[in-house]
Order: sequence, then C-alpha cells, then structure tokens
Amino acid sequence: MNKKLSFQNIILNLQSYWAGYGCALLQPYDTEVGAGTFHPATVLRVLGPESIWKAAYLQPCRRPTDGRYGENPNRLQHYYQFQVIIQPSPHDIQNLYISSLNAIGLNTKDHDIRFVEDDWESPSLGASGLGWEVWCDGMEITQFTYFQQVGGIEVKPVASEITYGLERLAMFIQKVENVYDLDWDGVDKNQGGKTYGDIFLQSEKEFSAYNFERSDASILLQHFIDAEQECNSLLSDNKNLLPLPAYDQCIKASHIFNLLDARGMISVSERQSYILRVRQMARSCCLAWMEK
Amino acid sequence: MEDYKKSTGDLLVEFFSEEVPARMQFQSGVHLEESFKKAFDKRDIRYGEIEILTGPRHLAIIIKQLDLKQQDQIIEKRGPRSDANEKALNGFLNSNDIDLKDTEIKDTKNGKFHFYIKKIKGLDTKKIIPEIIHEITYGFVWSKSQRWGSTDLRWARPLRNILLLLNDEVVEGELELGNSEVIKFSNYTYGHRHYDKKIKIDHISCYKKILIKNHVILNRDDRKYKISYDLEALLTKNKLSLLDDPLLLEEVTGLVEFPNVMLGSISNEFMSLPPEVLSTAMKVHQKYFSTIDHQNNLAPNFIFVANSLSDTKRDATVVEGNERVLKARLSDANFFWESDLSKTFEYWNDKLRKVVFYEGLGSVYDKTLRMSKISNFVSKAFNVNPSLASQTALLSKADLASEMVGEFPELQGVMGGYYSDLIGYQNEISKAITEHYKPRGALDSIPKTNIGGMLSIIDKIDTLTCFFVIGKKPTGSKDPFALRRSALGIVQIMIGFKINMTMHELFSNSLNLHNNVSKALETELMDFVLDRLRIILKAEGIKLDVIESILTLGIIHKLPFQIIYKRIATLSDIRNTENFKVFLVNFKRLNNILKSSNILKFSNFDINTDLFESPIETQLFQAINDLKLVSEKYQFNLNNQEYFLNTIKELQTPINLFFETIIVNVENEAIKDNRLKLMFSLRELIIKYSNFDIIED
Repeated sequence: MNKKLSFQNIILNLQSYWAGYGCALLQPYDTEVGAGTFHPATVLRVLGPESIWKAAYLQPCRRPTDGRYGENPNRLQHYYQFQVIIQPSPHDIQNLYISSLNAIGLNTKDHDIRFVEDDWESPSLGASGLGWEVWCDGMEITQFTYFQQVGGIEVKPVASEITYGLERLAMFIQKVENVYDLDWDGVDKNQGGKTYGDIFLQSEKEFSAYNFERSDASILLQHFIDAEQECNSLLSDNKNLLPLPAYDQCIKASHIFNLLDARGMISVSERQSYILRVRQMARSCCLAWMEK
Repeated sequence: MEDYKKSTGDLLVEFFSEEVPARMQFQSGVHLEESFKKAFDKRDIRYGEIEILTGPRHLAIIIKQLDLKQQDQIIEKRGPRSDANEKALNGFLNSNDIDLKDTEIKDTKNGKFHFYIKKIKGLDTKKIIPEIIHEITYGFVWSKSQRWGSTDLRWARPLRNILLLLNDEVVEGELELGNSEVIKFSNYTYGHRHYDKKIKIDHISCYKKILIKNHVILNRDDRKYKISYDLEALLTKNKLSLLDDPLLLEEVTGLVEFPNVMLGSISNEFMSLPPEVLSTAMKVHQKYFSTIDHQNNLAPNFIFVANSLSDTKRDATVVEGNERVLKARLSDANFFWESDLSKTFEYWNDKLRKVVFYEGLGSVYDKTLRMSKISNFVSKAFNVNPSLASQTALLSKADLASEMVGEFPELQGVMGGYYSDLIGYQNEISKAITEHYKPRGALDSIPKTNIGGMLSIIDKIDTLTCFFVIGKKPTGSKDPFALRRSALGIVQIMIGFKINMTMHELFSNSLNLHNNVSKALETELMDFVLDRLRIILKAEGIKLDVIESILTLGIIHKLPFQIIYKRIATLSDIRNTENFKVFLVNFKRLNNILKSSNILKFSNFDINTDLFESPIETQLFQAINDLKLVSEKYQFNLNNQEYFLNTIKELQTPINLFFETIIVNVENEAIKDNRLKLMFSLRELIIKYSNFDIIED
C-alpha cells in the first residue's frame, strides 16, 4: 500500500499543482500574521495595479488565543495555511480546486465533498467575501472565498481565494487523530524522521505560556501605539507614500492586538475600538497602495 | 388545427450556479416564480401551470402552455374634443406623428373626442425572452449576493450556465454579465457534483428524469421526502428515534443534490457530556441529527446526510471520516467542559465585569446587579423567597463567560444550569438559570418553575428598560435587540404564571435604576408591552374593538394584569349576546347626548335629588348608587369582574326607561343640568370597566 503523503509533500504537491496552473509561487510573509490573507500578495495585490494576479504561497499563521499548551489534539496557536489567490476568479475555479485535492492524495471520488455556505469577513482588514467552507466527509478542509471588498474598497475584478488548512487536511489524509502525530517528512522514525510534535510541541507549550501568562501587557500596548504611529507617519506625506512598509506596521499592530486579547487585556468595549484602529490603518494602506 | 396546437408551448429555464446557500434556495424559487409571472403579465403573455425546482446548484422553472406570441396590443389615446379647433387637433396629430385618417371619433360619457387607436402586433415570445431573462436576473433579490470574475451581475454564487428551452428548442440569446462576458442560452446542464457530467436536454418532459438519472433530485419536496424516508428506515433498523429538528431537515435538504442518509457512532468517552452539548456540537457545526434510545436518552449514534452516491466502500470511508470529525469536535467540547468545571461562578462573574452588555448600559455583571434589585419587587408575585431570587439573579449570567458558551452561544442558560448543579447551588437556582431564556419566541414554552419564570421576566424587564432608556427602541421592521420578543415573553409569562402586577409595578422600579427617565418614556415602554398583549389576544381570536375598549382605559398602566386579561375575556364572551347589544345601544345613546352637551363646563357634578320630577329618575339614581358600591368593591377584584360587567349590563333597563319617559332638554336649566349630571355620573361609573363606546354594534 502506498505510503500516505507527508506534511511537507502535501505542501510541495500543492505548490507544484498551482505553479502548474500558472500561479506565481511566493514565500511566506516574514512577519506574524493571523491568516494567509494578511500577506500583501493578497490584501494589496487584489487592489491592483494589474487586473490579473495569480499567486500561491504557504503562510504560517498565529492565533494566540487558540493555544492549548500542546494538550489539545486539534488546536494550535501556530499553524500553516496554503493560500491561492487568483484574480479575476476563473469560471472553473471549483473544479481546479477539486483537482488540487486529488493532487495531494485525496481521491475525491472516494469522499463526500461539499461546499457549505460560509461568508468570510475580517473586520480588522475591512475585508469581506462570499463563499464556502469545503467539507470532506464532514471535515472542514478549506475556506473558499470570492473577495468583494478589501480595506473597505470594492475588489474589481473579483478575486477567488482558496485557503487550505494544512494540519486538518494532513490529519485527514494521514488518518491521524492527533495533530502532533502527523508525519512531517515521510522519513522513518528510526532514520531520524520527524513528526509534527517533534518539531512544534515545545513551541506550542512555550508560546501558550507566553500568550496567556507571560507577555508584558504594558510593553505590548506601547508596541501597538508605536506601530500605529509609524504606519500613520509613513502615509502622512501624500507626495511620498510608503504603503508597503506602512502595511507591515498594520500587520504588526494586528498581531499585537491578538496578543493583548489572549492576555485578557481587552474588554469587549475596547475590543471594538482596537479593531477599528487596525481597520483604519489597513484602509489607509490600501488607499495609498492604489494611489501609487 | 396545426395553428392552434402551436399557439402555446412549454418553457424551461434553469439557472445553474455554484452552490447556493441552503437557507436561500426555497425563497429563491418563490421569487423566481413571481418574477416570471410579473414579466409575462406585464407583456400580455399568458401562461399555464408553473413548476419550481431548486437544488444547491440548480434553480429551474417550468412553465406550461406559454403563449408563443404576445397578445396584440391596442393602445388608445384620447385627443381633443371633436369640435376642438385646428390648432389643438394638429398638436395631437403631430405629437403622435400621425395623420387625421389614423384617428376616429368616439363617444364617451364626457362627449365626443378624437381618438388615436394603435394596434401593435404581438411579438414572438422567443424574441422577448432574452429581455425577460435580463430583467429577472438583474432584478433578482437575494438576501446576500456577490459579483465574480469581471461581472456586474450579482447572484448568490457565480452563475455558470443558463438552460433555456421553449418547445424543446434552445431560445437564441444570451445574458450579458458585464465587461463583455456573456452566458449563451444552452440546451445542456450538469449532473451531480461528484461526476459533474455535462448533460444535453432534448425534451422538457424528460428534464427531471434525466437529472435524477444523473443523481440530482431537483424537486425539493422529493429530496426532503427521500431524506425523511431513509432516515426513518435507519432509525427503525437500529431501534432508535429522532431528536426531531424540522429546521435542520430543511437545511440539510439544501445541502445535497442526492441525499445519502447514513448512521455514525459517537465514542463512548463523550457520552458523559451533557446531551445538549452533544446535540448542539453535532447540529451546529456538522448538521448531524441526534438520536434517542427507547428510554428517551441520547443514543451514541448520529445520523447525517451525505451528498455522495451510495457505494458500500465509499460509504464506509465517509462514515469513518465523519466519526473522526465528530471525535475532534467533541474532544474540543470536552476540553471546554473540563476547563469550565475547574472554575467558579465568582470567577466568571468577575470576568463579566469586563464584558460590556451594551455601550452606555454597563457590563453584563452590572445587568445582573440590576436584575437582582428588580427581583425585590417581583419575587413576591412569583411566590419566590426574595433573597433566593436575588442570589439567582446574580448567578444567572455567569455561564456567558464560560468556555463552552463561548464556543456554543446557543447553550447559554443550559450550561449555567449544569455548572450551578455540579457546584452545588440549590436545585431551584440551577433550574431557573437553565430555563430563564425561555420563551425564545412566540411558539416556545415559558419556564416551568416559578423562580425560572421570575428570572426570565426580570431579565426581560431590565433589557427592555435599558434599551428604551438609551433610545434604541425598535422602529418599523428593525428590532436588532429583539425587544419585541422580550416584551412578548413578558406577556406570555404574565399570562402563564397568572401574575397580577400592574405595568407600573413591573417597570417603575427598573426605570428608577436609570437617571433622567421621562414620564413619556415610561408610558411608551408600558404601551410597548401592552401592544404584545394586543397581538396575543388577537391571535386568540378576540375582536380588536373589545381589546381596545379595555386597553385604552386611562388607568390601564395601573390596572393589574389579570384584571385586564379577565375583563377582555369576559367582555368578549358576552359581546354577541342580545342583552349586551341592547345595553350597548342605550349606552351609546347616553354617551352621544353627553358628548353634544356642555357638561364639561359644569363646575360640579353633584346630583340634586330634589330636582327629580319622576320616579324614573329616582330609580336611575338608585341604580347609579348600586353600581357605585359594586364598582368600589369589585373593580379591582379579580374574581368579580363578571359580576361587575353584569351589573353594568343590567343597567339597560333603567337607562332605557329613562330615555323613554324623560326628556332631558327641558326649558328649566337646573332640571336639565341635573339630568345631564345624572347621566354623566352613570357613564363615568360604566367606563371604569371599559370604553364601551369603542365596541362596534
């Protein structure tokens, strides 16, 4: 019987599948983000300048509140998404997606694949779209979205975004019930092969402790203010706009907000105002990007 | 004969798109039918029977006996009078670009006029259809819709194909999507998503059959029936029954093209979780049906509806996959459960201090403090110990801070009940917390326990008061805080628990917890709640005039609720009796005389018996005094409302006698005024029960 695809092979196969389709293969963005969408290759690029934009990339994501000290078999504060963004959305995008599943060893003919309504919204990016979560035998393996708005600006033409939740997908493909048991490299254990747990368990423990207990709220608050200030200053001169560096600061502020949230430092009423502040930054960056 | 046969034909239009959300499918079918009817009616094209078919990707309409030609249209334009001057006539001719010979003179009831009668030959329906499709698609109302690619058109999800046959032939034409993209009308569609086979449709009559052959059941009812039928068979085979959930069945019907109903098992390790947690986790995320065993306990099996075709090997994989997903979901739920069990209500309440209830209304914890204060004034009516009531109020919202409710908001209250029970609070407290969100709408039942009823009502009193105070009362169809439902809940509980408090008693204390509350706001709030009573009574079949006659009483806000309820019921019961009708006629006569008199200018209403000229007056005066005694003794006495009303009704005899024998408008002003005062006193006593003048004869 064929050996199940390893985690890294799933990534490699997705990369070659979408590269084969004609996507530019990009690398993860090098700062902490909450989702692959935050990558400037998605947020800014769908606003132009080209009306055709096809890209695919892996993106490690951080969701501090989802940390479980490595004790929950399904929840992680750091995980991987594989992101495909194609603009304008092609008419056969659903079928392209289904074929991609077959490319990573998930023979769709043997399963129950369904597209279940799940509209996506990112309040802090001022972004929204309509689409589905894709189910495979009842398991949500992908988020599929037609981008309608980013930074409060209409996306024209519409871009289709496909976000694979790689851990879930790999658990499904490898038939593993605990994320830490995932085979990472396809190498035998006694040959030095590594599991997901070998690589990330310690990290989950430490970062959960950091996110929930040890982060210094006053430092984080200052970081947030600094990032916001820097972002605004980079966009202050209309003749000399720097939307890309400004957007970096916006992403940082967003992550800091998530850290403060995990620390329980943000009340529900403050929450809304923080989200609005990040959204304001995102919007300014998007407008500046379009300006250039 | 040939011509006759060809005068009508069948039309099939199918909009094929990517998966449309389940909740929109049914409505979109209804809307499609209305749109086509409107489009054809407008153009004078007649049609026969219409059939609507909806599935996740197909939205189709079949119209039988459609006119193949539009009716000839006659447009009649009236010009100037036949004897009008030349200038007027020429103006008319020029503006219509016609000669005099195109007009004729016609007689109307207003005289003779020039008429221009234009006959327009009806067009071929197939020539008009493209325009109709454009009109319908661009005017289509979805609750939420999107653009895709470079299109301008909006649809629930991208529209990919339009199958359009008239008399089994493709109608030539296309739909513009914007930016030079089009969908050409075609004679094909696609089968089940699993195969995505392109299928040619040659005959409308075979359309549904061909799709079924390709594993798409297009008729929503057929699909639902198949699910129900297969579900029943599975249940019987496994000696289970269903935790009934009609809404879930509707939703699932919209998630599959060809239902495949299967049974899965729940790992034993999770069966110790509360059944509500299990069924909610299964339903909300996974759309699984819960099952119950013969002892009415949740069984370790779930039922789900796949969209895959039945195939032994694949079914096994699909079941196994779904079981694994559920296991992951439930281990999450288990994690929340375990983690919540290590917490206390004090810990959660402390967290709630930081959770804003609504801007300007403090935290959720503040809400419980207000509820506790309100409970002091309400607990007695529910026969609940005041300190127990207050304690329960303070604990009631703690579960909102728990992890389980964070994940499953619909378990609010239920989880609080479990946690309260496990921590060891009194049984009554736990029950009250569990049921205090009830009734969740007009069809839901009210709480069972007194303390649950009390907790529910004070929660709703506080919510209503708060949002009215900050000016967020519902307007028109907008009611974002579901205040109408809260008010309805209050009324349902007042009725169910036979609570005899007045509106004023219910709300004055909760309003006192806020600053600067105007009298007008208080009145508005109380009327808002009474408006729900009006709706409930109307739904029970009570005539509006009877309801209004009581609800418009000046003291309505200080009239105990059960008296209001009883009065309306009693009045409604006798409203159609002959006796009452006679009374009503006499009362209205009395009322009309008073209305047209100058009685309101009188400085006093004292009746001088010395001015009586007839024993009839004395008799009426006696009746007034009797009624006064009855009214003083019984008007606020719940058990004697019927007696009170009957006493009023019996007055028909003395009133009638009075009118028959006594002339009010006599010359002697003193006597006349005295008689008016007599009638006035009588009316004032009568309308202590109800404003009878509102009741229709």
